[in-house]
Amino acid sequence: MTLNSQATLKTYRKDRSSKFIRQISLVCLTFLSFSSIGQSDDIAQADINAQADNDVHESISVSTPPDSYTQQIKAFPSDSAHGWLEKMAYAHRNLNYSISFVLLKPGVDSQPYLWRHGVSEQGVKMEQLNLLNGPGREVVRIGNKVSYFEPNVPPYSLQSNVINGPFPSEFFQQPDEIKASYDFVMVGRSRVSGRAAQQIRVVSKDKSRFGMNVWLDQETGLMLKMNLVDLNGQLLEQIQVTACHVTEQPDDFFEKIEPAMLPEVLELRPQAHTKAIWDIAYMPVGMVEVKRDIHRLPITGLSVEYVMLSDGLVDVSIYMRESQNDGINQDILLRHESDTLLTLNKGKLNVTVVGKLPPETANHIANSIHLATTP
Amino acid sequence: MTQKIENLSALVDGELHDEQLLDAIKSDAELADKWQSYHLIRDGLRKEMAAQINFDIAANVAAALVSEPAILAPKKSWRDLPLISSVVPFAKQGGQMAVAASVAVAMIIGVQQFNQPEVEQPFNSAPALLGIQGGLSPVSLEQTRTLPRADASEQRRVINAYLNDHKQQLRFKAAPDESEVELYDTEQSSNVENIPQR
Repeated sequence: MTLNSQATLKTYRKDRSSKFIRQISLVCLTFLSFSSIGQSDDIAQADINAQADNDVHESISVSTPPDSYTQQIKAFPSDSAHGWLEKMAYAHRNLNYSISFVLLKPGVDSQPYLWRHGVSEQGVKMEQLNLLNGPGREVVRIGNKVSYFEPNVPPYSLQSNVINGPFPSEFFQQPDEIKASYDFVMVGRSRVSGRAAQQIRVVSKDKSRFGMNVWLDQETGLMLKMNLVDLNGQLLEQIQVTACHVTEQPDDFFEKIEPAMLPEVLELRPQAHTKAIWDIAYMPVGMVEVKRDIHRLPITGLSVEYVMLSDGLVDVSIYMRESQNDGINQDILLRHESDTLLTLNKGKLNVTVVGKLPPETANHIANSIHLATTP
Repeated sequence: MTQKIENLSALVDGELHDEQLLDAIKSDAELADKWQSYHLIRDGLRKEMAAQINFDIAANVAAALVSEPAILAPKKSWRDLPLISSVVPFAKQGGQMAVAASVAVAMIIGVQQFNQPEVEQPFNSAPALLGIQGGLSPVSLEQTRTLPRADASEQRRVINAYLNDHKQQLRFKAAPDESEVELYDTEQSSNVENIPQR
């Protein structure tokens, strides 16, 4: 017995020593890799320092045109939030600019975009938004024709004067639109993307929607950073501009576009306004019903009554259908990226609210839905 | 002794280095046993267990053999009574039939049981977010596991449908009326074809 255990002891020691050697080699490896990473960090730091040195003479991330070009922008009053927003809108609609930004969303990889805008000699507004990672997605707007080029979908155009992108384009072009539902507060100045920036806070009047923090370039009025925050000030989504170039002439890219070659405008048959079965009693201040129809959902083929509410900044989809005994009649509340999805069952009604809304507001809207009284 | 065992535990964990203890282990069979089992436990906890573990059962078997009483003469049993000895073969045959039948039944049940989860495989492909993760109540395991899972996947499908449609609806949001476009972009020419082709 003693002999036996001694044998085990020996084998154990042997095992142990080999394991020990393995561990040591692992530690060595980790150490090596760490030191190499540290080195590259140093190099990156040196690069940044060099860039910072260059910045003193010539801005790399931001370039601005001669003063005469931005004269009109400077004329806007910069002592009120409203003045700042007017300046922002004017700049976004009338300047030739090329902005690189990164979009950060919870649960998704960061997405770098290139956003160009130009005004042709005829005064036609041209805009391009390009997702730079992966197979890419490109949107081109010429006047009020917006063409979408996306993987797996044949290109198509829509009649619209704003690009439906990762940021609220409407807000940048027509901030007055949301005056009814949001308050604008001038916060303070800070440094963003190496530029002096003015921070403006956008807060919903009835505290029922997410707020926004926008940093605008002091000189040009263009957006430098945008945060979408929830009611507690927690960050939900962020756009950070990494480069911004304002030029006197529109980018060469727009010259290459042949408007005749752009895809045909899709004819969206406006559905006959169907008789409402359900009524929405509560809507957040400033929200209006912009669309109502009955259609089928893409994956499940379920037929739903659909209502879209919008306040110019957030769009909310409301789906209503009769409850069925199909085992999916659970109440659901979940957050997908920065969208909230809420499904409620109230007797015969199954209502789903989707949109960038705090859960409480979604719940309030869903609970206010009732059978329409027949006229 | 308990102190020794505690020290041994510390030694196995690498918290103690005691030559004296090592010597004690070498000489003490009980400690050596503990040494072995502690290492086994440790490996199990650290998930470093070997794929195949060779427990040393030879000693136990030897001990069992030693304590086994040698049978010198077979005991008389009820089978040795004259009447029963002639009945037993029939009973045996019948018993064999019964065994065969029950094996067949077990096979059928087994095959059914075996086939059931196969059918539900597609629904189990993704981990369930909701519902009970089986294993708590073996009695109704099949029931509690399969139903919520199918439910959860169906629910996920519905949720995805809603999210997709929401995205699509945002894209196809009705374009503003011409009048509205005019209002904000007064200087915009509506004729797109006028762009110069340089």
